[in-house]
Amino acid sequence: MSESIRSIVLVGGGQASAVAARTLRRKGYDGRLTVVGQEPDRPYQRPPLSKEYLGGQDPDECGLYLLPESWTEEHDVEVRTGVTALKVSAPDGGVLLDDGTTLDADRVLLATGGRPRRLPDADGDRIRYLRSKADCDALRADLAPGVRLTVIGAGFIGAEVASTARDLGAEVTVLEMAEAPLVRALGPRLGAACARLHAGADVDLRCGVAVDSVTQRGEEVEVATSGGPVVSDLVVVGIGMVPNDEIARDSGLECDNGVLVDEYCRTSHEHVFAAGDVANHFHPLYGERMRVEHFDNASQQGSVAAQNMLGANKPFADPHWFWSDQYGANLQQVGHAGPDDELVVRGDLEGDSWSAWHLRDGAIRAAFALNRAEDIAVARELIAFGASLPAEVLADDTTDLEEALEDM
Amino acid sequence: MTDWHPVAMVKDLEARKKKAVEVGGTTIALFNIKGTIYALNDTCIHEQRQLSKGAVLFGKIICPGHQWKFDPATGEPEGQEGCQPTYPVRVEDDGTVSVCLERVETPS
Repeated sequence: MSESIRSIVLVGGGQASAVAARTLRRKGYDGRLTVVGQEPDRPYQRPPLSKEYLGGQDPDECGLYLLPESWTEEHDVEVRTGVTALKVSAPDGGVLLDDGTTLDADRVLLATGGRPRRLPDADGDRIRYLRSKADCDALRADLAPGVRLTVIGAGFIGAEVASTARDLGAEVTVLEMAEAPLVRALGPRLGAACARLHAGADVDLRCGVAVDSVTQRGEEVEVATSGGPVVSDLVVVGIGMVPNDEIARDSGLECDNGVLVDEYCRTSHEHVFAAGDVANHFHPLYGERMRVEHFDNASQQGSVAAQNMLGANKPFADPHWFWSDQYGANLQQVGHAGPDDELVVRGDLEGDSWSAWHLRDGAIRAAFALNRAEDIAVARELIAFGASLPAEVLADDTTDLEEALEDM
Repeated sequence: MTDWHPVAMVKDLEARKKKAVEVGGTTIALFNIKGTIYALNDTCIHEQRQLSKGAVLFGKIICPGHQWKFDPATGEPEGQEGCQPTYPVRVEDDGTVSVCLERVETPS
């Protein structure tokens, strides 16, 4: 129990670690607490890196930093930046760092996130990825009116970068391998609706395009594609991420597409937890393991892991939720959609505000909304209960979903 | 003195149970939750979205921006830090809804 815990080490300088630190102190843990971050910056959140911060807001304006010094001093939290944790060693009872020191630890959180998946054989200072604040700072410095930018991948990062770059006056081309953006997450019909957002902002979105090679020649980058060459000043590659699970592997913890954890965020070692992008977690609502690369997942798991370190035995069982802001629109989804789900649309998919509900066997599996976040609030409750409203109620845009839910 | 500003009628909050109103440059979100009217600052403390465009579920106000859940009476967000400003509400016999922007002070 918590009385015997004298030192906790949180490995990683992102959202999951920051939430864990705040949760531990809020729950009354008063032992030693250390956050170890590999990057030179103090813990920060990543969502603004493709949106507000990339667009030119200063860090305070967009709430970039998660654990300001005023807070860590007041709560006696040590933040160590620019240092990599190499291994959690049970016999030594500690976390080994690459500066040669070992931090005593009774409980450890691995929240090491991930790194961008890279294109092979594509090197050059004009071929960029976006994961860290440093990546963002470099990109921000180069986005200006008239700059030709090619974005590879029309996923969330790609679309948000394209949107922000467009706001900054860049000429933007987006290349997507699938027949529409976000097809894997949303299916082709909703993906096509999202494609219209790009077009509405004069972004040249090209779908069904395979990238053969990316080559920098002097000041230009040529992307060779199945639809011909695309030449631009700058390329941003947004084709997913790879979990940073080396520390877990080197510590002998079970890994498979990330660090394996149960619904309590516990790894194969009872005192070591993992949370966020790196955690391949068992989710009771779906009865399977999944690794989710979204902010809210990192927040919730950071909180749950912290509470369980102190003996709470609390599962992470909420449906996953995420948002994206692009081209002035707010996109949100809750739950997990499957390809065979029945799709019920509320509103007009051609319009600028609608929600789409994925049903299976009468229960709502997921809902996705464009500028319709209030519907997502309703969906979140229904999914958590394993319930649904009748399809005709969902499809009728004149019904009050909030009342319908409360009347169930 | 405490200034009360008439901003709406109760019947305005019957069919649609939320409404944004402006008082002296401040946008205020009114909510009718099971017959009680609440007033909160409309701009979410988290990231500047409008609470009046959010949902009300099981007595809580849910911000459309990032689904933060607020207690309508206290402005406290569930599981988050900070506090959304709330304002005193007065309903007259004729159905006029008034809000007060200052903390309620004892008249001198």
